[in-house]
Amino acid sequence: MTQSALDGVRILDLTSEMGWYCGKLLADLGADVIKVEPVGGDPSRGRAPFWQGIPGRETSLRFWYFNANKRSVTLDLGQFDGRWLFGELVKTADIVIESWTAAERAELAEHDVDPDAYMEAQPALIWVSITGFGLDGPRAGWEVTDIVAQAAAGIATLAGYPDGSPMRIAGNQAYAVAGISAAQGALLALLQAEATGSGQRVETSIQEALSICQETAHLQWDFQGTSRERVGESHRLPGIGTYETSDGYIFSMVGVPGFGAPWTEVIGWMDESGMAEDLTEPEYANTFANFNMRILLDEEEQAKHAPVLARAQEVLTRFYASKTTMEAYEEGQSRRLLIGQVATPSDIADSEHLAVREWWLELNQPTRLGSEDAALRYPGPPYHLSETPASIRRPAPQIGEHNQEVWVDEVGIPAEDLIAFAGEGAI
Amino acid sequence: MTATNGSRPLEGIRVADFSWFGVGPIAARTLADFGADVIRIESEARVDGLRLGQPIKPGKTGYNVCAYFNNFNADKRSFLLNMSAEGSQEVAYRLIERSDVFLSNLTPRIFERWNLTYEQLREVKPDIIAAYMPMQGLSGPHRDFLGFGAVLTPTTGISHLSGDPDRAPVGVGTNYPDYVVNPGHTVIAILAALRHRRKTGQGQRIELAQVESVAATMGPSLLDYTANGVNQVRNGNKSSWMCPHGIYRCADDPSGRERWIAIAVGDDAQWESLRAVAEGAAFTTDDRFATLLGRRRHEDELYITLSDWTASFDAAALALQLQSVGVAAALVQDAEDMCEHDDHLAARGFYEYLDHPETDISLYDGPIVKLHETPGYLASPAPLFGQHTYEVATQVLGYSADEVAELTSSGVLS
Repeated sequence: MTQSALDGVRILDLTSEMGWYCGKLLADLGADVIKVEPVGGDPSRGRAPFWQGIPGRETSLRFWYFNANKRSVTLDLGQFDGRWLFGELVKTADIVIESWTAAERAELAEHDVDPDAYMEAQPALIWVSITGFGLDGPRAGWEVTDIVAQAAAGIATLAGYPDGSPMRIAGNQAYAVAGISAAQGALLALLQAEATGSGQRVETSIQEALSICQETAHLQWDFQGTSRERVGESHRLPGIGTYETSDGYIFSMVGVPGFGAPWTEVIGWMDESGMAEDLTEPEYANTFANFNMRILLDEEEQAKHAPVLARAQEVLTRFYASKTTMEAYEEGQSRRLLIGQVATPSDIADSEHLAVREWWLELNQPTRLGSEDAALRYPGPPYHLSETPASIRRPAPQIGEHNQEVWVDEVGIPAEDLIAFAGEGAI
Repeated sequence: MTATNGSRPLEGIRVADFSWFGVGPIAARTLADFGADVIRIESEARVDGLRLGQPIKPGKTGYNVCAYFNNFNADKRSFLLNMSAEGSQEVAYRLIERSDVFLSNLTPRIFERWNLTYEQLREVKPDIIAAYMPMQGLSGPHRDFLGFGAVLTPTTGISHLSGDPDRAPVGVGTNYPDYVVNPGHTVIAILAALRHRRKTGQGQRIELAQVESVAATMGPSLLDYTANGVNQVRNGNKSSWMCPHGIYRCADDPSGRERWIAIAVGDDAQWESLRAVAEGAAFTTDDRFATLLGRRRHEDELYITLSDWTASFDAAALALQLQSVGVAAALVQDAEDMCEHDDHLAARGFYEYLDHPETDISLYDGPIVKLHETPGYLASPAPLFGQHTYEVATQVLGYSADEVAELTSSGVLS
């Protein structure tokens, strides 16, 4: 049997969509993650896309993706008995993860759901809070969503078309970054707790974690007092930017010294296809043989070579347009040119490279839409650990699917008491 | 910030950091922030491109004045070891022997040439945790493809899905996956492997194929295709359920700087709150927008009329006003906002300002996550190029002064 890196670690996951990825990362590495959902289910279960396009709390592909490997129990933290049950469950846990809003946090505190109190009773407990702006500071109470976080973190301003509005990066990246930040914090605290017996609170501010993706914008401000602006893919220089192919787009970053083959390789490639036109003539060849950082960075230098650069742009644009995306990508890369396919989801699903690497996983997911499970081809893990691989061991849970086994078999609540709690709506 | 209680979680862990540019050094910086002794292997023969990048301290030149490098290398030691020189491998192996973690984002071709495969490292140090971060993985037909963040956003679907549906994909303006997604996943794998080693004494190999790591964040879009056959397209700043949802132009600031606000309305209560704040604006009384379905059907019209309303406002003040009634909103901040005017970040002390011998007091990102009892912190600014070669050679590797002199004259160390 394969070992897991996080064998024996029990985690309670009270998060909404914003915090799902943290629990997934830890569950895939072997932790026993129990989703603690409100009666009726985590409201974020209703997020698209849905299996066969059918909306429902048991059919969200988004929910399934981020919650496979987790078990589910339900309880009502608004009720006294729900809180008592939660307290019993916390006693069995090593880590609690939540993504409460400030308003929810305040309301729960009024009901004595207080992280510090649990931690006092259980010194090794780790309590992870995933928040938009942190637990303190003037904006601790602010509402957050993906786009709001990307705006506040200084990255939306850099993305998008220079003549358009700032742009959100696709894929709810603020939530991905939140999960990645919080999972690092949880594991650091776990190593510390297992060495010393002392747990602690861990806090992710999505604004802070995401702000690291400003790249050099903040650093430029610090050194030079200027703000970086949106540049889009404005084809500042030939070879750099997004180009149309015969069936899609590629991103090209050729001719940057130190990054792959030089511009002369591009000309050779075009020439072999009979499409270099006049770029093999000395006027062009000389410029591109000496294509250096000065041309890349210095606008005066660019102005000096403007006609040559403009001509090269024209010829290269025609050349790329004559290739399919895969031709441009694979032929270019085989010449050590930095070219990337602008891939659609289907391109990724059909990638031979990922297939050869056996990245995709197979998973049967119950749907509650009749007896047939959904047979899913499931995106694989971000990493391969040779001795303790990440894995998907069970599909995403249905609402409260594990109430019986967790409450009765594991926490030790007598079955007849559970019936009473269900009757009053505490679970 | 300094530790308030007890030592940091990774004290006693040594990292042999053979990575360069962004993604590897950033992973190692998180390990350093939390107490690891990170020894950054550099060489005059292959100077890290970020040492030669931008932005540089005005009026300064050389290897030590680029903030792009410095920010990601705080708290490390710089050790100059020329892996192309004869005799270098023995020095590298001596370092591996004394390390817990090996880290590299070199292409497979390079680390194979340098005899730094996991099988080779394991001979030297049986319980080493060796983390490799090749662009496309250690196997597969695209194994030797080149790239970095700007090439990963297109190849993982992010570029295709970002931007306006009626325009070409625009990219995201940065090497986005290099900064948190790939280094963060790498750190998670290393921390998990450290726990496993502590329990069992066993090391292992970590392979983070950067395309897989980024694609893993795009799961719902990929599943929509594999499960439903739906090949999603980009949809600007729209949401699949929230409406209004987008980024709206506000009043320019006095210097003519464009100002924008992000607003996301998730339910009817928030819509009513927005309407109350905007009392009198045309969109508040337009029947087409009374219900979520109406707003979604007329989303483009709503964008225009809502923008008409925001256009006269100061974006920061409007965000504050909307947040005070529970509507998610924020000023679209630029670097000036982040560094100068964000009272919240300042109150939390996120940015650290460290005194560096050549760049003076300079800004560094704080740790990516906050541990309350054993917080990460930056004990020192980025190392000067080769600042710690002698120190590491003698104190960590145990070479005598004479041996160091010999290794230096033979071009192994510098």
